[in-house]
Parts: sequence; C-alpha cells; structure tokens
Amino acid sequence: MDVVDARPILAPFVSFLCAGLVFAVGRSIFWRRFFTFLAAFIKMGLVFSMLPGTLRGVVYVYDFVEFTPGIGIAFRADAYGMFFALVSSTLWLFTTIYAIGYMQGDRDRVRFFGFFALCVSTTVGVAFAENLLTFFLFYETLTICTYPLVVHAETPEALRAGRIYLTYTLIGGGFALVGAVMVNAVAGTLTLSQPGILSGDLGTTTLAIIFTCLIIGFGVKAGIMPLHGWLPIAMVAPTPVSALLHAVAVVKVGAFGVTRVIYNVFGVELLGVLGFTVPLAFLAGFTIVASSTIALTQNHLKRRLAYSTISQLSYIVLGAALLTPLAATAAIVHVANQAFAKITMFFVVGAIARTTGKKYVSEIDGIAARMPISMAAFTIAALSFVGVPLTAGFITKWYLALGALEADAWWFVLVLIVSALLNAGYFFPIVHRAYFRPAKEPWPPLEEGRRFETAKTLLFPIVICAAYVLLLGVTAEVPGMPFSIAQVAVEGFFAGGGVVP
Amino acid sequence: MSPTAGVVVSWWPGVAIALPLAGVAVSAAYGWSERRRAAVLAALSLGALLVALGLIREVLAGRMPEAHLLHMTAQLWMVLRIDAAGALYGATVAALGLLALTYAFGYVRPGPRRARFFAFFMACLACTLGVAYAGNLLTFLVFYEAFSVLTYALVIHEQTPAAIAAGTKYIAYILVGGSLVLAGVLLTFFLAGDLAFVGGGFLPVDAPRAQLLTAFWCFVVGFGVKAALVPLHGWVPDAHPAAPAPFSAVLSGVMVAAGAFGIMRVVFDVFGVGLFTALGVAPWLTAIAAATVLVGAVLALGQEDLKRRLAYSTISQMGYLTLAVSLAGSGVMAGGLVHLVHHAFMKGTLFFCAGLWIHVAGARRLGELRGVGARMPLTTAAFTLAALGMIGVPPLSGFVSKWWLGIGMLEIGAGAALAVLLAGALLAAAYLLPVVYAAYFAPTRPGVATPIRDRASGGAREAPWTMLVPTLAAAALTLAFGLGSHLRGFPLQLAERAVLAWFGGG
Repeated sequence: MDVVDARPILAPFVSFLCAGLVFAVGRSIFWRRFFTFLAAFIKMGLVFSMLPGTLRGVVYVYDFVEFTPGIGIAFRADAYGMFFALVSSTLWLFTTIYAIGYMQGDRDRVRFFGFFALCVSTTVGVAFAENLLTFFLFYETLTICTYPLVVHAETPEALRAGRIYLTYTLIGGGFALVGAVMVNAVAGTLTLSQPGILSGDLGTTTLAIIFTCLIIGFGVKAGIMPLHGWLPIAMVAPTPVSALLHAVAVVKVGAFGVTRVIYNVFGVELLGVLGFTVPLAFLAGFTIVASSTIALTQNHLKRRLAYSTISQLSYIVLGAALLTPLAATAAIVHVANQAFAKITMFFVVGAIARTTGKKYVSEIDGIAARMPISMAAFTIAALSFVGVPLTAGFITKWYLALGALEADAWWFVLVLIVSALLNAGYFFPIVHRAYFRPAKEPWPPLEEGRRFETAKTLLFPIVICAAYVLLLGVTAEVPGMPFSIAQVAVEGFFAGGGVVP
Repeated sequence: MSPTAGVVVSWWPGVAIALPLAGVAVSAAYGWSERRRAAVLAALSLGALLVALGLIREVLAGRMPEAHLLHMTAQLWMVLRIDAAGALYGATVAALGLLALTYAFGYVRPGPRRARFFAFFMACLACTLGVAYAGNLLTFLVFYEAFSVLTYALVIHEQTPAAIAAGTKYIAYILVGGSLVLAGVLLTFFLAGDLAFVGGGFLPVDAPRAQLLTAFWCFVVGFGVKAALVPLHGWVPDAHPAAPAPFSAVLSGVMVAAGAFGIMRVVFDVFGVGLFTALGVAPWLTAIAAATVLVGAVLALGQEDLKRRLAYSTISQMGYLTLAVSLAGSGVMAGGLVHLVHHAFMKGTLFFCAGLWIHVAGARRLGELRGVGARMPLTTAAFTLAALGMIGVPPLSGFVSKWWLGIGMLEIGAGAALAVLLAGALLAAAYLLPVVYAAYFAPTRPGVATPIRDRASGGAREAPWTMLVPTLAAAALTLAFGLGSHLRGFPLQLAERAVLAWFGGG
C-alpha cells in the first residue's frame, strides 16, 4: 500500500541541511556539535517513525521533481530501503559520538564533519531511491563526498589512496550509468518495482550486457573481487571514516545496489530463467574465501579488518544471488549484522590506536589487561563473524546455508564453513594475544582524571554496538528488530512464489 | 508412546545450569577472600548436583522436565528437556564437577591465573550440563561449542610453551569438528524442518540417501573429534598432560564423553535406530570404534608420562561407547551408557591421583613413581582401586559396565566386538598395572619414600585433605557403583529407561 509522505525525502534532507550548517558556522565547536547531534536525532526519529507502517506493509512515497514524464527524482521507502536507512542512521549517531572523541584536536574538523553529514545524507538517499536515476545520483554524490574524508590527513599516502579510490569508483559509476541508460532505453522506465522492470523478451544478449554493467558498477563499492583493490588502500582514512563508510555506508551502498538490481530491476523469476546469478554467486563465493585468506596474512589491524569486510560483503551478494527466500533474508539481515559487528571492531581498533598508539596485530599482546571493555567488545564481534550461536553472525550463517541448500547449491555451505574457520583463523589470534599473552612493555597508564580505559566518547559507542550484536543474535524474532523487517522485504521480493520463513 | 508424553514445564533444568554459571561471577568478584570464594563456589556446585539428582527422580517418576530458554527466530530456539540419558549424564557431570572443583581448591596455585581457572571451570561445567539437558540439536550445539571453546583457557592454564602448543592444536581440532557438527545440524533442519530430539528419531525416512549420509558423517566426524575417535584423536594426548589435573579429570571423565554422547543423541534421537540400520553405516562405525579401542590401548602402553598414558586410555575407553552405539542393540547400549558414568569416576580418580603424585612428590613420569606407594598410601590405594575397575575386576563398577556390554554383544551375536572388548580389558591391565607395580613394588627412587623437605609438598607425606577427600570419594563411587549397580536410581536403571525410549522396548 503506497502512502504519500514527506518523510522519505526529509530524512536525507536533514543531514544535507546539517552539512550546510556545519560548513557555515562549524568553526564554533558548540554549534558544530549541536547541529550534528540535532540532525542525527531528527533523522533517526524520522526513520524510526516510519517503522510501524513498514511492518504493516505500508510503503511511503514522495515524488520530488519530474524532469520529463517518467524520469525524475522520487523517493520510496519500502521495507528493504527502510532496513538500510535504519542501520545507517542509527550508526551515524554512534559514529558521530565516536568521531567527536576520536578527532579531538585533529585538523580541518569543519570539513570533516560537514562531508561526514553529506555522506550519510546521500546514503539514506540511496536507501529511499524510487528509481535508478535517483539511485545513481546519490550513489555518485556519495563517491565524491567520501573523497575529502579519505584524504583527510593530506599525506602523500592519503592523497594516493584518494586517487585510487576515485579511479575505481568513478569507472564503476560509469558502468552503472551505462546500465541505467540501457534499462531506460529497453524498458522505458527506471522505476524500481517489485517483480522487476525488465522482461525476458528483450533478448538474452541485451539483458546480459545490462546485468554485467550494473553489477560491475555497484560491485566496485561492494568489493566483489577483482574490483576490491581500493578498499584496503582507503584504510589510511581516519578510523571513524573507515568505520562508518568502509564498514557501513559506502560498501553497503554497493551491496544494496547489487541487491536492488537482482530483485527490483531484473526480478527473481526472470533471473531464475536467465541464470545470470550463477556466475555471480561463484564470484561471491570466491571472494569470501580468497579475501579471508588474504586477511590471515595482514599484520596491520585495519587492513585485516578491510579484507574481512570484503569477504563479509560477498555474503550479502551471495545471499542475493542464490535467489531463494531464506538466502535473501540472510542477505538483508547481514546488512545489519555485518555493520554492527564490523563497526565495533573498527571502533575498538581506533580506540587502541588513540590510547596506546598501536596499530599492528603483533603489538597488542596483553592489551586486554589495559583495555578490558574494548577487548570484550572486540571478542563479541569476532565471535559473531565466526558465526557462533547467540551472536548476530549465526543468524546470517544459518539462513544463508539453508538458502544454499534450498537452491540445491550445497557447494556454498562448504564455502560458508571454510569462511567461518578462516574468520576464526584471523580474529582469534588477536583475541588470544590480547588476553593470554603477557604485555611486551608496560601499557601507558590512565590519563589524569580518567575513570575508564579510554575516552568515554570512544567507549560508549563500542559498548552499545557490541551489545547490539548480541541482541541481534538472540532477539531476531521480536517485531521491529532487523529480522522482522527483512521478512517483510523478502515477502515483497518473492511475491511471485517461494517459501518465506 | 508419544514423544511428548510426560513433558512438564519446569524451572529446574535452567537452575541446574544457572548455578554454576553464577560461579563465573563469583570467581571474578573483587575483594573476596579465597576461603569465602571457595565456599560459595562449592555451594553452587553442590546445588547443581542436588538439582541434577532431583531431576533423576523426576525422570524415574516418568516425567520429562522441560524449560524453554530462548526463541531466536521462528525456526531457531533453545530448549532444555530431560530424558533418562540426559539426566544420567547430567548428574555425572555435576558430581565429577563438584569433586574436581574441591580438588582444584588445593591444586591450583594462588596468583592472577587462579581466578581465571575457576571462572572458566564453572562456565565449562554449566555448558556441559547444558549439553546433557539439551532438548534439541541447536541447544546441544550451542552448549557443546561453548564448552569446547572455553576449555581452551583451561588447557593453556599453565601457559608453558607446551601448554600453548597443546591449546592451539586443541582449538584447531575442535573448531573444525564444530563446523562439521553445524553442517550436520543444518542439513538435519533442511531435511526435517525441525531439530527437537525424539526417542526413535525425527529425520524423514524417505529423504534422499546422499543427504542423510552426508549429515550422518558430518555428525560423526564432528563429534568424533571430541570423542577422540581414531584418527581424530590427535589433541587428546597433548591436552591432558598440559591441563591442570582437576581439569584433566573433568576433560577425560565427562567432556570427551560429550562427543560420544553427541553421537548417541544423533543415532538414537535424530536418525533413530531404524534409519541408522537402514543407512548401512553401522559396520563402518563399528570398525572405527573397534580401531579406537585397540589403537588407543596399544599406544597407551608406550607412554612414560602418566597423564599421557591415561589420556590414551581415555581414547580407548571412550571407544567402547561408540562401539555400543554402532551395534545398535538395546542391551549393549545400556551397557554403554552405564560405562559412560562408571568410566567418568574411574578416570577421574586416576587423574586425581596422577595430579597428587605430581603435586606432592613431583613425580610425573612412570620411572619417578617408584616407591611412591609407601609415602602416599591412600593416594596409591585409590589409584589401584580405579585401575582394577578400569580393567574390569569384580565387584568394581568397571566390571558391571563391561559385563553388560559383553552380555549385550552376545545377545546380538557380535562376537568380534566381544573380542575387542576383551582385548581392550587385557590391554588396560597391561598399561595400568605397571603403574601400580612401580608405586608399590619397584625399588624406591631416592627422595620419594622419605619425605624430604621439598618445595612442592612442604615436607608432607600424604596429600593434603582438600585434594585427598575428592580422590577417595571418586574411588569410593567406583566401588559403590559396582556393589550397588542394581539399586533404584543407580546408572543401570536409568540406562535401561533411556534404551527403552530409543528402542521402544523391542
């Protein structure tokens, strides 16, 4: 049931306005923080206020502007879009708190927080995009807005990373544009719709070209191998950027795009006939195993996390590509599960770097004695990635594996098991070093007047996110939790058939 | 009999697990004196034992207490449900846990790692009870994985390079095994759409054979790692000597058994006897189990390190359990379940004694034990009793379990299995009696018989009482289970109940 409502456009607009205000009066620390938090809360309120409707099956729509008949900017908050918007707006709030603590005394904070807000604005814009044009517009804006954040330090290394990032994503954007134009040419519309836009009588070749273009376009940000090269390099960015953008916003936008292409441009039934998703699933399976294997060899903490992200993103792609309801549920839920677990890890790694200056796996022996709360949070996130029951990761793994069995693709169950073991292989040594090895040298003592192991602004988001990883694992069934929203979304995708869990 | 007959909603299964779990917080509590901490931990552990015994009463009265813990999604939930086999195993876990805990108060040295030991020990205990009381495969998996991972911290407790290496080996084996179990659980859910244990099995008989076989072997290999089935036993002989003695006792007595218990659950409560037999996998499992019994026992012969020798003995003895499962006869299975309990206390006694010899006399290797019997008569007597039980000398508990195993094998005409059983008993004599001989009759090693004022013992002759009492209690249970095997509430009666549910009286 479609209801015209302004909230789908207000949600991205709030952070857009916030960015403007930060640029205008951001020299004052007070006003910068005031506007950032105000916007974060309003945005969360807007998105959450739509949640009860979404669970009832209501879809909020808003047409902003129409350039020519059928082509314009329009917003539509369906269940999947809502899911993504909820995750990004919630995590924006926590990352903002974290960033205030982390960026203390850093350079160019006006630029940093301004572009940060812009990035979140565009992410929610992508989430609520009604058609491919709107999607593409926000997708490309996000690319541009992220650049100043990646090169924030303006060291030669950061500038180089920024160049590589832009090269990858702009070329990817070009492919996406070509794909979108072709969709418009053959289907006469760009509106993302439930059974899909395209029909089978367009010819397999045309459809294959469109599919390839769109998947390459969005796959760059989703880090599907071999398009992943920019992600580990972009880790030179400040940690809050790595956390929100490279664990949630930017990379998830890519995965979100891939999912939209599969479910709302092509549709399950058409792809089931065409079989384009089979090579995509194999590519995702390869990415899962290969990048986890690379992660094993990384000594730099953030780079290890980056390769883990690449691997985890392909869970989403794989789940979408399997074309079964259970796998789709897993794919959608994993958008949240991976986001909360990975952001916890990035927060902890950043807190370690800020508190002790250590950035490498080999340097953190015995750190659990100095930073017990942070390492406990890291351990929870690590258990989630391995897929231990009672954590968020188990829910993903369970439904993804069942989805693979449902699709008669037992091969991917094997991939998931190997991946779980590899995850244990690169996360447990970190946990082991932190807890069971004696410190090589005494850790720096607590700073004057500090009660906790690190700044409260760093610790608070860590604790909340880690707690949420556990909550996601045990209360998936509760209405309003991500799992229930994912179920509504999947019901839409598979309206034509299939069993919804 | 319907699978839900006698199910009653009850808090007690949850309480049994919550009590030791509360001990984790007690272990970590700041500012408590050691004495107070020990008293509270012992009280919690005793409470768990009493609840476990109470649950046995419930089961004997024909009820199945059930407690829902957590609903994760519409398909995934955790539930505890107590049947005869679970009640029996749970009480064993709680009892051996209490003995080992008491022993550990004396054994584990003061220092920063002491609190860690007790915290992980109590958590392991709680999770192993969860394995015993699990009412569906998911609950089983959660507790099984949890205690397997927590065990790591106890294996590496000493933090010597050897202990760390043993821990790494352990965790690698266990994680791979755990993943295979998960794969089995997944396939089971996919095929049956359910996970709840049902006596007689719940997998659809008409499911594709290839998928049933895959699920079966995933389970057997996954649980086999823990149950130390040859050739998956690699971690056992390294982990046992590395761990502190009280934990070696629990590890050998009930945790390795958790793997065999898992295989038992899978065969009887997931596949069911009929499907298991129809799949034609039984002879393979029998062969693996027989190889485990013999290889474990033969390898035990050559071990100089006493705890290593005992570890190989565990491999061999746990093979009996899988052997009993694979033969799928009601009599032999009853014997197998009884053996699980009896073995726990015999092996517990043996490890307690080995620990005392290390702790008091500094004797770890066989050659160092010469003459220790004169200095530590009670310890050595307890060891001797348990060793004789292990060999199967009447009227000790080991005799009872082997008797029922043997009778059961004859019932179904499994002559080869009987030969394996007897060979295992003979080999047990060959690897345990030399220890007894060394302790009593071999020429005394200088410094062992005369209580020199060495650091470890403070000059005492016999072990301190806190450690000696649990050792003697475990040895006494070895005797009591032998003499009173037919009493109400003793393992045999419960095992017969369990078998009745699995074989439907046939």
